[in-house]
Amino acid sequence: MLKPRRKALAPYALLAPGTAWLLVFFVVPMYYLAKMSLEQGLFPLFTFEWAWSNFSDAVSSYHTQFVRSLEYAGLATAIALLISYPLAYWIAFRGGRWKNVFLVLVIAPFFVTYLIRTLAWQTILSDGGIVVTILKHLHILGSDGRLLATSAAVVAGITYNFLPFMVLPLYVSLEQVDSRLIEAAGDLYANRAVSFLRVTLPLSLPGVFAGVLLTFIPAMGDFINAQLLGTPRQYMIGNVIQSEFLSLREYPTAAALSFILMGGILVLVLIFARALGTDRLTAGAAP
Amino acid sequence: MITRVRRHVLDVYAVLALGYLFLPIAIVIAFSFNNPLGRFNYTWSGFTFRNWLHPLAYPGLGGAIRVSLEIAFLSALVATAMGTLIALALVRYRFRGSATTNLLIFVPMTTPEIVMGASLLTLFLNWKIPQGFGTILIAHVLFNISYVVVTVRARLVGFDRHLEEAAMDLGANEIVTFFRVTLPLIAPGILAAGLLAFALSVDDFVITYFNAGTVTTFPLFVWGAARVAVPPQINVIGTAFFVIAVGGMLANVLWQNRRARTA
Amino acid sequence: MSSRYTRADFLRRTAAGGTVLTLPGLLAACGGGSKSAATTAAGGGTQTMPKSMVFSNWPLYIDVNEKKKTHPSLDQFEAKYNVKVRYVEDINDNDSFFGKIEGPLSQSQSIGRDIIVLTDLSALPARMIELGWLEKLDKSAIPNISNLQPTQQHPAWDPNREYSLPWQSGMTGIGYDPAKVGGEINSVDELLTNPKLKGKVTLLNQIFDTMGLVISSNGDDPEKVTDASWERAVKKIKKAVDSGQVRQFTGNDYAPLLAKGDVWACFAWSGDMVQLQIDHPGLKWILPKDGGIIWTDNMLIPKGANAYAASVLMNWYYRPEIAAEVEDYVNYICPVVGADKVLEKTDPAVAKNTLIFPTQEMLANARAFDVKAVANLKYKKEFQKLIGA
Repeated sequence: MLKPRRKALAPYALLAPGTAWLLVFFVVPMYYLAKMSLEQGLFPLFTFEWAWSNFSDAVSSYHTQFVRSLEYAGLATAIALLISYPLAYWIAFRGGRWKNVFLVLVIAPFFVTYLIRTLAWQTILSDGGIVVTILKHLHILGSDGRLLATSAAVVAGITYNFLPFMVLPLYVSLEQVDSRLIEAAGDLYANRAVSFLRVTLPLSLPGVFAGVLLTFIPAMGDFINAQLLGTPRQYMIGNVIQSEFLSLREYPTAAALSFILMGGILVLVLIFARALGTDRLTAGAAP
Repeated sequence: MITRVRRHVLDVYAVLALGYLFLPIAIVIAFSFNNPLGRFNYTWSGFTFRNWLHPLAYPGLGGAIRVSLEIAFLSALVATAMGTLIALALVRYRFRGSATTNLLIFVPMTTPEIVMGASLLTLFLNWKIPQGFGTILIAHVLFNISYVVVTVRARLVGFDRHLEEAAMDLGANEIVTFFRVTLPLIAPGILAAGLLAFALSVDDFVITYFNAGTVTTFPLFVWGAARVAVPPQINVIGTAFFVIAVGGMLANVLWQNRRARTA
Repeated sequence: MSSRYTRADFLRRTAAGGTVLTLPGLLAACGGGSKSAATTAAGGGTQTMPKSMVFSNWPLYIDVNEKKKTHPSLDQFEAKYNVKVRYVEDINDNDSFFGKIEGPLSQSQSIGRDIIVLTDLSALPARMIELGWLEKLDKSAIPNISNLQPTQQHPAWDPNREYSLPWQSGMTGIGYDPAKVGGEINSVDELLTNPKLKGKVTLLNQIFDTMGLVISSNGDDPEKVTDASWERAVKKIKKAVDSGQVRQFTGNDYAPLLAKGDVWACFAWSGDMVQLQIDHPGLKWILPKDGGIIWTDNMLIPKGANAYAASVLMNWYYRPEIAAEVEDYVNYICPVVGADKVLEKTDPAVAKNTLIFPTQEMLANARAFDVKAVANLKYKKEFQKLIGA
């Protein structure tokens, strides 16, 4: 048995390598970025002036894009969850020996660079393609309707590209559910729906929490789907930050926008965690 | 009869969902056999094997692929190792600073890539660290850690501690218990996290761009080339990666089956 | 404060202990900005070739021997001058690349490259000259500069070609599918107002392309942009965007859309059309009757590089036979006089292609864009707002 003193140090020892990496390569740059967000001036002369107005200006200029990002990311996450949960369930419970093969299949799209898979989607959803033609026949789309260059295309793009981030954590959690628990529920007269809702689903919540985080958080900052699949009316806050940083070279504004985005996401994550009940999701029972 | 149908609903769904995932991949594979006369692989012009016979036709493409694979493998390895340790600490222990650590894990995921990439570059410049393979690796490990922690943690949270207790009751010390009981049981979580990290790394563009110096990775090559050409070779490479990855896993499964049978 | 006091300087000093906010700190900071730039290879004066050089360029912008996977023009240069040239294709967007190199340059560090290539109309070469981040060309090593196209010899932002030499040019005009459009197009106004084209039109997301063409279509001069001419053009575009006429603002990702028929007419680059027309001979490209835009990617020598070696390399590419080798593959617009004569014998199809060797008439109808307008923050912001960011 470890002596009590050494036991108390155990978590810090485990944390050390990873947190050191994050402190050096993330926190330090963030400190500089924070300083930048309070500077004013024109490229390349920026001076530190406690310019809190950068933040208020950023919000007032770009609140539309912030809200829009929330809508798109939220929608994409919800759809991804709906699509991914049954798939992850199937892989976990029915995948058998081939589970790992299916996992690799799920991340396979990432091997084909983003640009190429988006080109493929543009071919599939082309104005003259099969999908649009069928939708027009079914009157879901008007006669001059299209799928590309619409909000639908942007949300669909985000959903598709983040699907693996939803499937994998869900799988990880579901695979751990002991099938004997489900058997036991059945023995206690629960039908399949009830045993799913009362046994499997709650046990898979850590996976749901993780999947939602890994999808929603990066989706909020996404810019590439709106850029390739959207019109100016679909541009998200990620596009704004890109343009402020690269084209306008207004580094303080870009930095302020980034912090507002980061802060906003963290607040949402906290609310979500509270809603699901954090302790269950981020800490296991003590031994 | 109804229960039979119901049993298969999930199977049908899984096939549809996988189909949805693969629809664009099928197009990518199809277009790897395309024979455009110009430099753009946008519309179908005829079938050919020449792209597969000369997959590395462009100078620099081969090098870019190698760099991407090396970085993906290394960064996934390092990030998975460090991230798993952090996940263990966060789930298993109550300690001062756990809330801050949680924050430290989440915040990198919320940071827009361009800002993360550019500020990391500023760090490298200030500390006179030359940009190249090493800095790309540092950056990839950096963004991968958070994803690994979140994924492994989902596994650890549902972990049944009683199994460990039982092992220790049977005389195993903590280290043995960890390696013989805990690790194998959380292995699927670690593998999934590793796969995610690999995938993230192999497809990263923005952060890599700022910190690559004069080194080129596969996504950098593709995005750069796209201004003047989208050669079918890129489809070939993507297909090859995919086939090798899936094939590798399949081979592993078959080998495991063999072992199980002859055991 | 000295004009060389940059963000990076500031970050460094505050990292060293927050001394800047005291008066001595401020003075030290101001004085420190004028460090000399000589870091790596000799900046000026010496005229010897080094053992190796680094040439950064846009991808697929140089000749390629697909079988041997080499760049013949570079190999020939290496053989003749006994230098190893490391060719790096890491420039794919002007602003992004600039964002990558401004850090070291603002701290007077070398960026490890001897030649870089940036687009004139992005206003970044002009900016770099202003900021003192470029070395002057060693003209004594570039006798072939006399082969430079006359129209390229005196650009507004570098009137005596002291810092730059064109690598390739390109024109921005209108690309369209006559079959889908149901006829010919010859003006920007048609693109923006013809109701038959609603939702089938894309414009470019670069300020000099789109604003240049639209300002020209109003009869104004794109090379001298005024507030009034700017506003007129913005209004026109906004109308077309709001009505749904304009589908998207794209980079070169208009090309697949045009090829697939999702877009019927768009602002397009000459070089793209050369490639698209190979697989889709029906597609057409024209310079609008009110004027098109011509841009040039220029070779530049960043501070800290070996200016002599870079100049020798530039001179090499101004040999007509070498320029012809490059042009045969790249198919943009060649800045070297005489290359078309060489190609008439070896690849007449390329020599006769007016998208690669435009006629004098075409060149007269294509103008540059006012780089001051590109650098103007107010204009930039308005444009970004227009395209959605």
